[in-house]
Amino acid sequence: MLKLLSVLTFLTLTLPFLAHSFSPDHPTDRRILVLLDDLALKSSHSLFFKSLQSRGFELDFKLADDAKISLQRYGLYSYDALILFSPSVDRFGGSIDLAAILDFVDSGHDLIIAADTNASDLIRQIAVECGVDFDEDPAAVVIDHTSYAVSDTEGDHTVIASDDFIKSDVILGSKKIEAPVLFQGIGHTVNSENSLVLKVLSASPSAYSANPKSKLSNPPSLTGSAISLVSVVQARNNARVLISGSLSLFSDRLFRSKVQKAGSPKKHEKSANEQFLTELSKWVFHERGHLKAVNVRHHKVGEADEPAIYRINDDLEYSVEIYEWHGKSWEPYVADDVQVQFYMMSPYVLKTLSTDQKVMHVIPSRLSVFPVDFLLIPFLIFVLFFVLQGSYFTAFKVPDVYGVFQFKVEYQRLGYTSLSLSKQIPVRPFRHNEYERFIPAAYPYYGAAFSMMAGFFIFTAVHLYSK
Amino acid sequence: MATRNLGGFLVLILAIAICEAASVFQPISDSHRSAASELFTATDGSFGSLEEAYEALRSFEILGIDKKSDIRTATCQSVVDKLGSSSSAPKDLFYALKVNSILKCKVNDKIFEGIAARLNAIANTASSLLDFYHSIGSLVLIKDQSSEVDVLLADAGGIFHSIKSLSQSDGRWRFSSDNPESSTYAAGLALEALSGVVSLASSEIDHSKISTLKSDILKLFDSVEKYDDGAIYFDEKVVDLREHQSPLSTTASVVRGLTAFAAVTSGNIKVPGDKILGLAKFFLGIGIPGNAKDFFNQVDSLASLESNEVAIPLILSLPATVLSLTRKDQLQVKVNTVLGSSAPPLTVKLVRALSSGSKVASTIESQELKFDKESESHFLDVPKSVDVGNYIFVFEVVLHDSEDEKVYATGGSTQVQIFVTGVIKIENAEIVVLDSDVGSIETQKKLDLAGENSLALSANHLQKLRLSFQLTTPFGNAFKPHQVFLKLRHETKVEHIFVVGNSGKKFEIILDFLGLVEKFYYLSGSYDIQLTVGDAVMENSFFRAIGHIDLDLPEAPEKASRPPTPAIDPYSKYGPKAEISHIFRVPEKRPSQELSLIFLGLLFLPLIGFLVGLLRLGVNLKNFPTSAIPATFGILFHVGIAAVLLLYVLFWLKLDLFTTLKWLGLLGVFLLFVGHRILSHQASTSAKLKSA
Repeated sequence: MLKLLSVLTFLTLTLPFLAHSFSPDHPTDRRILVLLDDLALKSSHSLFFKSLQSRGFELDFKLADDAKISLQRYGLYSYDALILFSPSVDRFGGSIDLAAILDFVDSGHDLIIAADTNASDLIRQIAVECGVDFDEDPAAVVIDHTSYAVSDTEGDHTVIASDDFIKSDVILGSKKIEAPVLFQGIGHTVNSENSLVLKVLSASPSAYSANPKSKLSNPPSLTGSAISLVSVVQARNNARVLISGSLSLFSDRLFRSKVQKAGSPKKHEKSANEQFLTELSKWVFHERGHLKAVNVRHHKVGEADEPAIYRINDDLEYSVEIYEWHGKSWEPYVADDVQVQFYMMSPYVLKTLSTDQKVMHVIPSRLSVFPVDFLLIPFLIFVLFFVLQGSYFTAFKVPDVYGVFQFKVEYQRLGYTSLSLSKQIPVRPFRHNEYERFIPAAYPYYGAAFSMMAGFFIFTAVHLYSK
Repeated sequence: MATRNLGGFLVLILAIAICEAASVFQPISDSHRSAASELFTATDGSFGSLEEAYEALRSFEILGIDKKSDIRTATCQSVVDKLGSSSSAPKDLFYALKVNSILKCKVNDKIFEGIAARLNAIANTASSLLDFYHSIGSLVLIKDQSSEVDVLLADAGGIFHSIKSLSQSDGRWRFSSDNPESSTYAAGLALEALSGVVSLASSEIDHSKISTLKSDILKLFDSVEKYDDGAIYFDEKVVDLREHQSPLSTTASVVRGLTAFAAVTSGNIKVPGDKILGLAKFFLGIGIPGNAKDFFNQVDSLASLESNEVAIPLILSLPATVLSLTRKDQLQVKVNTVLGSSAPPLTVKLVRALSSGSKVASTIESQELKFDKESESHFLDVPKSVDVGNYIFVFEVVLHDSEDEKVYATGGSTQVQIFVTGVIKIENAEIVVLDSDVGSIETQKKLDLAGENSLALSANHLQKLRLSFQLTTPFGNAFKPHQVFLKLRHETKVEHIFVVGNSGKKFEIILDFLGLVEKFYYLSGSYDIQLTVGDAVMENSFFRAIGHIDLDLPEAPEKASRPPTPAIDPYSKYGPKAEISHIFRVPEKRPSQELSLIFLGLLFLPLIGFLVGLLRLGVNLKNFPTSAIPATFGILFHVGIAAVLLLYVLFWLKLDLFTTLKWLGLLGVFLLFVGHRILSHQASTSAKLKSA
């Protein structure tokens, strides 16, 4: 009995830590379920998998129709992310279905979907739920007769060399992608009203999506740069989804392939697929662009403690620290466009926060109080500079409107997780004794009263005793 | 209708089948060699296990990479350790011996003798297939490595029988007698073990046993799986086993078993050459595997196929399937063995060339390709009758020596999809705005589609736009590209795409704006005109902005559908917002301080006037009581009034209302008392005066 109890306590204590989505408290320990059509993909796409494994991800390869697969066990997710490399699967084995995958994403887990020609309805449906529509014609592929990859053996211009990337360092890394990315597969469009989907790799204006083997009589449904080859979704719960219309995009063959884009004399020794997907998978698996804000503080100028209420026209200081997850640790996040709003129904004050420089001047003076070797001070400043880099600061005057206000930081930037901080704070008007007194303009009134009083005093005496 | 649909479906299937069949397999090349060096990396000169070491060494050996010296010392050391230890499992010995067969480490014959005796005992008593496989495999290796050790099996027939007893009726094997699941992978191991038994047998194995085994092999080939491109492979039937053995390792195991068995038995195993070729295609079709195990399986199996006794596959490959007419490319065909070594003397024939348009008629007659010794390739100039287009060339390989036909498998004819590309001539391009009713020409502009154009046209909804041009192939034939799109793009990014149709060489599209107003959402304004012409075989495919047209369309009626909302630009959506600063209420305007002070001064004038008046009236204090007690009350009364007035001043300066009222109450009581006394005194004095 005791043994059972101890096992139970062990389970209840450890189970919550075994698996959950990306959370700022436990950002590591990430298990990924990889569902494959064919186990041969494991070796034909090994470079991609290796890059994940070398970054510390634990990959669990399963056939998509394996009857034993499941995402959940006892109501807890056993995986942190899912890779669907099974474009042709009509029905997943085990307990996985469309709803299960959507629930998985809804609970903040990440997903990579690779479709291909003849992608099954199930895969298309998952994509539709993520805000992406694949071309409905099952035989259609993306064709581009002006920016294809020059090849001696692939003559049908379905291997596209695309270099129309999204301009975002956070999604694709700060290193510029020099070579084009090779893509062979189907195209999709993103719903223009869906602001959560981003086209990461777009087709060129001359591309179109059609069956290369049949003549076109009607205009194809997808043409030009409206075609997205690779898209990402960042849901409101910060779950990230990568949708690619090509499975071979991830393959060793295209990773290693030499590239020459049609019409360009430049030959690249290697396609950019590896760099593109490594950087993109870093983003999808939250190794980049995941922000957290801590130490939200505000106080009156000259004070240190947070007041319960502000008076109108108070001068206040607001500060917040923002960090970005770098795969292993939280690093200070530096930007010049973090804004705070002082908000009641609508923003009364909207100010851009400056990275905190003021503290820098204070510290050396405080340090000098202590018997610190003066040689140490530059070093300490250097250390503190890095510590304080992610710290944002601003000061402003409380508006002369009273009510219940909020400090709001709504930080939404391309590719970053959105930060939404709000802190409620009431603002009161002046108290009766806080108004200005002895106003010079009122001196005549005061004077009138006092001269009256003096007159009265004299009059009483005179009236009583005069003969 | 249904039959037509079915017919269309069949054509589609056929088209797919033909195109799929046309994929080209390339033999092992240098990219494999560089990949091998990347995949098999030794840490500190040794591999994780002897099995890995063997896989690396064997792959290097097959690919002709010399890396032995780097790992020799460390690996030989562990080989000698393993062989010397008396507790090594058969599996360890097996891989140690395999490594030794490549590295040729210095191993004492005595050690071999000891191992041979142990393995002999294991082989005689073993019950599981893996034990047989490892022990017999090891004995075969010892036989090859040391001529002096006696490894012959005394009871070869018995061992043969006990291995055979694990086989199933469908040609597959069980791993042990108490395991009911049969496996294809095991069949490969069993065949390899049995071939070892045959080669180690001291007396000849019963011939009938071997012939039943041969029929088992043929049965195994019944369960083979097929890809559309002609590649065949073996896969486990049982799902549980499938998790452990991929199709690649299963097929590799069968190929090793088959080739080993064929090597030790006389007489042919009647596996068709096509099947062997299919297996070779399967291994080559994988490309370059990404993990070491798969790589070894692929390369090792191909090496087994390279020199097998059943049929040596010959692979027909084309370095280029895209031939340019402008570059005058030659058709180059290579025929090699799977590992890329040269084939016996043979002729490659181009039997047919099917144009993708017409599935039946051959555009050329049968031709032989010229052999060039230097590059070991067969060449042919692209025949004159072949215009730009997409073709399926059918090649046939004919071996010169009829004896070779028994040794090699060529697979009959090979279909290859060939793209013949060329520059398409674009002529007579013009764009015309027509009046709708009479068809008279309003404006006519010539276009140069090879260069830049920037036309400025204008039209209203009663007019038409006509774009026409001609496309001809280098041979003067009509050319119909896959992609001929005319795109009109409004300022608001609403796009309309039209496919330009053709009749013969001439491409023409007429846009009647009257019929299109609804499609255009009644949006007047400037439309950019873009023309895209492209095809897989057109070397000068282009996407070109021609210019723009100003359309004057009628006002939209109320019920007209709204144009789609343009996509939001993701870059602008996320930018920082404009700063907002609160505008504070301006304080009310006040008079200047001087003015207040002047008025303050003026306010004291009445008081002064009052005092002056009093003096003028000649007031005096003669009525002030003279006796002590009333005088005291009088003084106290006025002090009290002064105190109340002072209290008012203090109230103005600092006191609050409650303190003031408290003091005022006290002072009031005091004043009431002293006031009453002094006033009654004054009253009695004045009454006395009056009565007196």
